[in-house]
Parts: sequence; structure tokens; C-alpha cells
Amino acid sequence: MSIILDHVCYQYKDSIRTDEYAIKDINLKIEDGEFIGLIGHTGSGKSTLVQHLNGLVKASAGNIYYNGEDIYDKDFSMHALRGKVGLVFQYPEHQLFESTVIKDISFGPKNLGLPPLEVDLRSYQAMKDVGLSEELLDVSPFSLSGGQKRRVAIAGVLAMQPEVLILDEPTAGLDPKGREEILQLIKQLRREKKCTIILVSHSMEDVANYVERLIVMHHGQVVLDGNTRSIFKHSDELEMLGLAAPQVTYIMRGLRKKGWNVSEDVITVEEAKKEILKALGKRLG
Amino acid sequence: MIRDITIGQYYPKESVVHKLDPRVKLIGTLVYMISMFCFQRFLGFFFVICFLGLTINISKVPVPYILKGLKPIIAILLFTVGINALFSQGRVLFEFGIIKITIEGIRKAIFMGIRLVLLVIGASMMTFTTTPNHLTDGLEALLKPLKWLHVPVHEIAMMMSIALRFIPILLEETDKIMKAQMARGADFETGNMIVRAKKLIPLLVPLFVSAFRRANDLAMAMDARCYRGGEGRTKMNPLSYKRRDYYAFCIIILYVVLLFVNVKYMPQLI
Repeated sequence: MSIILDHVCYQYKDSIRTDEYAIKDINLKIEDGEFIGLIGHTGSGKSTLVQHLNGLVKASAGNIYYNGEDIYDKDFSMHALRGKVGLVFQYPEHQLFESTVIKDISFGPKNLGLPPLEVDLRSYQAMKDVGLSEELLDVSPFSLSGGQKRRVAIAGVLAMQPEVLILDEPTAGLDPKGREEILQLIKQLRREKKCTIILVSHSMEDVANYVERLIVMHHGQVVLDGNTRSIFKHSDELEMLGLAAPQVTYIMRGLRKKGWNVSEDVITVEEAKKEILKALGKRLG
Repeated sequence: MIRDITIGQYYPKESVVHKLDPRVKLIGTLVYMISMFCFQRFLGFFFVICFLGLTINISKVPVPYILKGLKPIIAILLFTVGINALFSQGRVLFEFGIIKITIEGIRKAIFMGIRLVLLVIGASMMTFTTTPNHLTDGLEALLKPLKWLHVPVHEIAMMMSIALRFIPILLEETDKIMKAQMARGADFETGNMIVRAKKLIPLLVPLFVSAFRRANDLAMAMDARCYRGGEGRTKMNPLSYKRRDYYAFCIIILYVVLLFVNVKYMPQLI
């Protein structure tokens, strides 16, 4: 069970220059159950890339295999693929349209052609999964707060029970508390559902705490791909791409320069706290 | 998909036509369109095509791009040509049952077809070479005399420029929402008319919501910058005629004179 991208290129139809690619020669293998962060600057092709994974955008060249099947094959069902690879767009709350929350959430499973009972079951489950209380069932989604709307939208994709969940900048436009909540929610989903998750973001801080594998994109190409911790060791390269390692990594590096015996290999605040306490302990004897 | 529509869009290029005063282009387009209805002979098209060809040549807008803009009118074009070919009186060429095809009908159909295509190309040449802002500036300047009749010219121009400004934004938004709903398994392509129309609800509702949201934001932003309507408002780049604009006027007048002289006084050959 995996997604394989083989020399995938995409060119805008109306692009004037022939050598201009939105994404260029992407080769990736996404294994089952991975938790991947896809990082890159605005316009680096992250969103275009993830839209290939569920067939919304068709590659100009190259192939994509879902569980070994070529998705561009004539008898491959795109409809089924979209049920298996759930994509939550940027600002997903802008796509809400139904008169009640539950109706909106069940739009996806209904489109999959499931029996009504199954549709309801999945929708209620999805609502529970994203932490929306039952009182909101019959409320209009337009009367909810920003964070709640986003949860409804995410539930709308979750209700299809996808095998792969892709979230395109799920924290964009939320306040720090809302961000934290959404990221915690994703982490919890990962723990409970064990599905593959791809988190698209341009914030290193968001990603560092959660993902296991990091793919860095620049100008439509994959420039770095590997274990989160190992990627942040390339901080010079990241800076050249206009990105950066998490701030706490820089702090640790600074401390080390000042002669503190701390590891530089730290990417979260929690780890930093432990390291610093350890170093302090040693100093004080 | 939806963004392939080129009609009415601006095509950025460095050319004299692009730099012309929008008033000249508006008047030119108006004259061009009226002139198209002033003759019944194919000879007239020769001058129209010359004039249009000259404009296209100077403007450096690629011809395939212009022709692509005709795609949305193909249905109307076929309809017009069909109606004219089928329901005209005259010498019968051949007939099946109630359908009679006449020589006059065919002539008229071709004539109408060419006229329609030239009209659309002419009008789109103006939008290809003029930014929406320039276009509304030009309209506002030209319609100013109507202020005497208490027509809110400035407000109309402002509404137009906002509407034009929103077209690409809403197209992009449509594309995005469409994709988002397709990611949830929505299918916009199959089914008959009624089924398809129903399927548009998940697209239209979010689109309207977002249009209202954007309109609200814009109104707020305009308010915050003390917008008070046209009264006492000055322009950063007021329109002024340059030498090239007078040349353009001359060419337009020359075109009209040539067209009329030829259509009226040339012997009736074609």
C-alpha cells in the first residue's frame, strides 16, 4: 500500500514559456502510515503536488501509482480514488454550503454512494473525531466561529474515511490557540486512525513538533527529503531556500557556541527544555 | 477549465494600441461596431478586415489567442447561421419537406456569420489592449456630459471597475471551490440538465458567500480610506490626449470615409 510518483511534471496550459513548470520531475514514494510534512515557500508547488495525489490535477508527464495501480489508467476510478485520498484544501471553511452542519459533513460519504445508514454513522463519527459537540448537529455552519467552521470542513473529508489524509495549510489564518487545537487534532487523528497523513505547511514550527518525514520543495522540485531531524541539520540550505529550522534549534546552537554542553539536534521546545535542564544540572554539579 | 475563457481579458503587451487613450479606443470600437451595420455587401468586409488586421498587427496580440476567444460564441454563431440559412425567402436551391434552402439564405447566413465574428473580435481587441481601470476611466470621461441629466456617472464607472476587477477573483474562487467539492466526491460533469443544475448548489452557495464576504471587506476598506463618491475626487493619472491619439482618430476617420465611399459608389459587383 503506497503512493508512488514517477517523474511527475505539471505545466500550466497557458504558460508562455515552455520551460516553465509548476512542478518538475517529482519522484516520491509515500508509504502506508507515514506522517509527512510538505514544506516550501509560497509558489513552490506544494499545493499543485498534493492535488495530483487525488487526481484533481492531471500531470503533464509522468505517472502516479496508487497501491500499484496507475491512476491515469482508463479503467481506474477517479471517484473511488478521491474517497481514499482525502484532501482538505486551504481555508476549507469557504467550501461549506449546506443548511446544517451534519448535512454538510455527509456530503462526501453521500457522493461515494454509501447506504444512508453508513452515511449517517460516518458523519457522526467524523463529527466526534474533530471534537464538535452534538449540539451543533443542526446548526447552520455559517453561524459557527472560524475554528469551528474549519473543524466542520475537516470532518467533511474525514467522513469519507480516507486511507490518506492530506491537509493543505490547515492552520492558515487561525490564532495561536486555534492553530494549536487543529494541530493537536491532527496528531490525535493520526494516533487513532493510523492513516497516512500529509501536512502541507510553510511553518517549520508547526511541522517540527509532529511529522516524522519532511519533504522540502523549491521551484517545483523536491530539494530535501528525509527524516525530520536530519532535514533540520541542513539549516544553511533551508535558509538559502527562504525557509529556516525551528527557532529553538537556533537557540540551542547559540547556547552551544557559548560553551553550553547541549545537543544541537533539538527541534521542539519540549526537547530543548530537557536538554537545558540537563546541562544546568551538570553545571550546578 | 473555467479559466480558459479569454474573451474580455486583458493581454499585456508593449504596443501603441495598448498605450492609446482609452477614450480613443472606446470611440474607435463604437464607430467600428456601428459601421458594421451600415452595409449589406461583402465588399464592406474588405475594409473592416483591413482596419481590424491593422489594429491586431500593431497591438501584437497573437492571432491564435484572439481566435481562442471566439470559442464561447460558437453556439450563438451556429444558431445565427442556421436560422438565416433555413428561414430566408428567395430562389430555392434545394428542399426536403418543410426545410427550404435558398441562395439568398446561404448568402445571408455567411454574411451574418462574418459580421458576428468580426464584431466579437473587434470588441475583444479593446479589452485585450485596455486594462479594466483604463476602460472605466475612459467611460467615465466620455459619459461625463450625462451628469447634467443627473446620471451618477462616477458611481456607475466605479461599480463597473469593481465588477471587472472581481471577474478574475471569482473565476479563481470558482475553480478552487469546484476542486474542493470534487475532492469530496462531487461530480459536475455527468447527468442531464436538471441533475447537473442541482449539482451546482455546492458550488454556487460558497461562491455567493465568498462574493458577499469580499464585497463587505471591500466596502470596509473603501470606507477606511474615506471614499465619498465622485464629488471633488481627483485622479492620480488624469487622461490626456497625446499625439498618437490624434493619429488614431485620423485613422478611424479615414476608415469610415473609405468604407462609405467604397460601399456607396463602387459598382455593384460583389
